[in-house]
Parts: sequence; C-alpha cells; structure tokens
Amino acid sequence: MFGYVLPEKPELKIREYETFRAFYCGICKSMGRRYGQLSRLTLNYDTVFLAILLSSLADEIPEMKRERCIAHPMKKKYIVTKSDIVDYASDINLILAYYKLRDNWKDEHNFLSGGGILLLKSAHEKLKKKYSKKCAIIEEKLRELTELETSKCNSMDKAAEPFAKIMEEVFCFDPLCVDKEREKLLRVIGYNLGKWIYILDAYDDIEDDIGNNSYNVFIYQFGVNKDNLQDCKLTMRKRIDFNLTYALGEISRSCKQLELKINSGIIENIVYLGMLRKMEHILKAGSCKKVEKSI
Amino acid sequence: MKNPYEVLGVREGASEEEIKKAYRELVKKYHPDQYRDNPLSKLAEEKLREINEAYDYLMKNGSGGSGKNTYGGSSNWNSGNDSGIFNQVRININSGNIAVAEEMLNRMPNRTAEWYFLKGLVFLRKGWYDEAYSHIQTAVNMEPGNFEYRSTLNKLNNSYRNYRTDAYGRGYNQGPDLCSICQCLWCSDCCCECMGGDLISCC
Repeated sequence: MFGYVLPEKPELKIREYETFRAFYCGICKSMGRRYGQLSRLTLNYDTVFLAILLSSLADEIPEMKRERCIAHPMKKKYIVTKSDIVDYASDINLILAYYKLRDNWKDEHNFLSGGGILLLKSAHEKLKKKYSKKCAIIEEKLRELTELETSKCNSMDKAAEPFAKIMEEVFCFDPLCVDKEREKLLRVIGYNLGKWIYILDAYDDIEDDIGNNSYNVFIYQFGVNKDNLQDCKLTMRKRIDFNLTYALGEISRSCKQLELKINSGIIENIVYLGMLRKMEHILKAGSCKKVEKSI
Repeated sequence: MKNPYEVLGVREGASEEEIKKAYRELVKKYHPDQYRDNPLSKLAEEKLREINEAYDYLMKNGSGGSGKNTYGGSSNWNSGNDSGIFNQVRININSGNIAVAEEMLNRMPNRTAEWYFLKGLVFLRKGWYDEAYSHIQTAVNMEPGNFEYRSTLNKLNNSYRNYRTDAYGRGYNQGPDLCSICQCLWCSDCCCECMGGDLISCC
C-alpha cells in the first residue's frame, strides 16, 4: 500500500473532511486496540478508502465519538467506533503492511523492516487464521510477482496483474459479497485500483530504481536508462496516462453502478478529483515532492 | 453456404447501415447470455455463427449492391479455416469465456489483423488495457479500412475522455490558480493607474 488514494482536500465539505478523518482515526485506533500500539504506525490512506466505500455500500451510518489520540493529545476528534468494516479495513492494513515489510527485508535487509516484521509477527499469525483464504491468495500472488521480477517482465499489464488481483481480493468483504452483482463491481474496483497504484508507483520510482539497479517494469518495457530518462518519460507518459485514466474510468463507472448513498460525496471526491490530481502530479516529471502527504 | 442477405434478413443490396442494424439486432436476439441453461443454446450458437459469417462477408466484400453479385460462389467465404475459428473466438468472448478464447487465439499460427483485434478484445476483458490498446492499434494499422477495428479503438479513446469530462464537470482544475490571480491583480492595477487611480499602492 502506498498512500496514493486520497481525497482532494479543498474540494471536500467540512463535514466530509471530518468523516474522512474519523475513518482514518477509527482504523488507527482499531489496530492499536487489537494488535498493540506500535501496529498503528503502519496506517495507510488506501485502506481508509476501502473502509469508506464498504461502509457506504453496507448502508451503514458510522457511529462516531469524540476522543483524544496520542498524535493529537490536545484536541478531541471524531472517531468511528464499533464498526465491523473499520475492523476489517484495519486487519487488511496490517496484513498488507506485513507483506510489504517482508518484501523490503528481502530486498534491502534494513533493520527497520526487520524490526517491523518481528513486531507484527504475532498479529499476522492471528490474521492469517482469521482470513486464511485471502492470505493464501495474497501469498500466491506475491510469489507470482517475485517470479515476474526475476524474469524481468517487460509488460506493465503483466507486471501489475498480481497486485491488482491482491486488491481485488481485498475489496471483496465477504458479508457484502452475498449479492453476486455487487461482488463483481467490488472486484472491478479493487482490480483497477490495484493496477492504478502499481503503475503509478512504478512510474514514481523509476529514477530510484535505475539508480539502485532494482527491478522496474518500465526499464524493460521502454528501455529506459540513466541517459535517456527524460526523453523516455515523455513518450512513456502518454501511454501510462492512458492506462491510469482508463483504470480510473472503470473505477468511477463501477462506483456509479453501486448506487452509493452514504458518504458518496467523499467517494466521488477521491475517485474523480483526488486520484486524478495525484496522478497528474506524479506524471508531471520533476514536480514538487510534497504531494504525498496532503491531509 | 446460405445467402448472407437472407441470413441477416435484409433485402439484397441493402446499405451498410441497414446491414449493421439488422446484425446488431440479431446478435442481441441470439446472444448466448439469453440462452444460458437453455436446451436451445446449441442452436442459438449455430445461428450466431451463421450471422457472424454473413456479416463478415458482407462487410468485407462491400455492401450496397456491389456485394450481391459476388456472394454466389460457395467457396468464396470459406477462405480457409481461420474465419470459423475467429467466429468461435468471438462467441467465447461475448459469452465471457475469456480463457478459452485466449487459448484458441494462442494456438493460431497466422497473425492477421483480425487476430490482433480479437486478441485485443481478450486483453480488454481481462483488464490489460495497455496490451489491448496496442493490439487493436496494430489491427487498425494492418487494415485501416475496417470499420469495426477503428470504432473499437475510438471507443477506448472515448472511455478515456469520458472520465476526464466527468472529473472536470465536478470542478477538477476549475477556478483560478495563484498565477492567474496575480495576473488579474496586476492587470487591474495597470488599468486603475491608466485611469489615474491606483489599486495596489506600492507598485
């Protein structure tokens, strides 16, 4: 998870902003309550979108309370409490964070990720039992991803497939998937979101990956190297822009078909404004690096 | 082989528009989705194949009068085994058997424009937009006159544009940015100064 899925703050209503924060804090507190305070450090914006979308689909008006929090000890903030969906989103947040740390550890062997794995180990064991099917799928897809990386895959579609499938699985919150039509739409949203995140992240990281000699699909698809990076970026950008926008189009269409009522303003804001803004910032090469934390 | 005009239920020498309209209606009627778990599904499939063949033939050989003289020869449309396989691939794509369609295409040795087109459709259904676009683009480049390939490519481009139109309608990038606000201020200041007044006193 990468934190690209954010609302466009200036376009949110104040109450929508408060609701978004309440979900964000709700996930954070839910993790702290159940898996220990340090697990809260893995909190990620992408799972907030998941929680808001699912709770909107469940027609659930979130129950909120004003509470204090370690990060903001002076002010009481609204927090979503007692929601199965928020608990689910925080579980997912932790599962994905664990796998990401494990991946980092394999690549770089830095102590931060090593320590993180140790801390999350017991929580992950619990979650693996709770979501045995989902975890098995995620692990299998991660293996596929590693294989694609070692075989130097040169197609962005192929390279993005495992992560897209992981997100597809994540968006299938079982209690809401009783209705097959809904499940299909949730799967489309998850798949395209995963694809969008993967491609955007690969583009964002290309300079670092060239420098570190790490795998990046665009190095092989477009033959990018240190010297032709700027020229390549120009030709790549149009194609990547098409793919990202197409995926966003699919997400927005499926959201429309889900006929969401509660919090639909926030979801529309994320899908039409926040993600598009994020993507355009990253596609514009050499733009300011500060976009990543905007809320 | 049956008379393609009869199969599509249009008069001989019908215009391209008429043929397309009739074709669309028939495909809807015999679409495999309508015959799921129905004993008639085999029959419908057979019918759909005939319709596709007739349509392909008329589109390839030009309609609107010029086609009616050429259809008679029975060997004319069976230009090899490929067209039959392509039709089966189309049926599979339409009924959602993407894996089967892909497998069939992968086994074909001839990479014609239609092959690239169908492969593109398979990719599109899988969600592989990059491959889909480049395959359909290849099909269009190989056969620039083909209406179906071109319109599918246009549809892809439209879907890209539709999302953006929606986003802009919701206020994306609307309203002045800082630069245009400054420009506006500067212009107002100049105007005021021209008229003897001043908006921003320091400049």
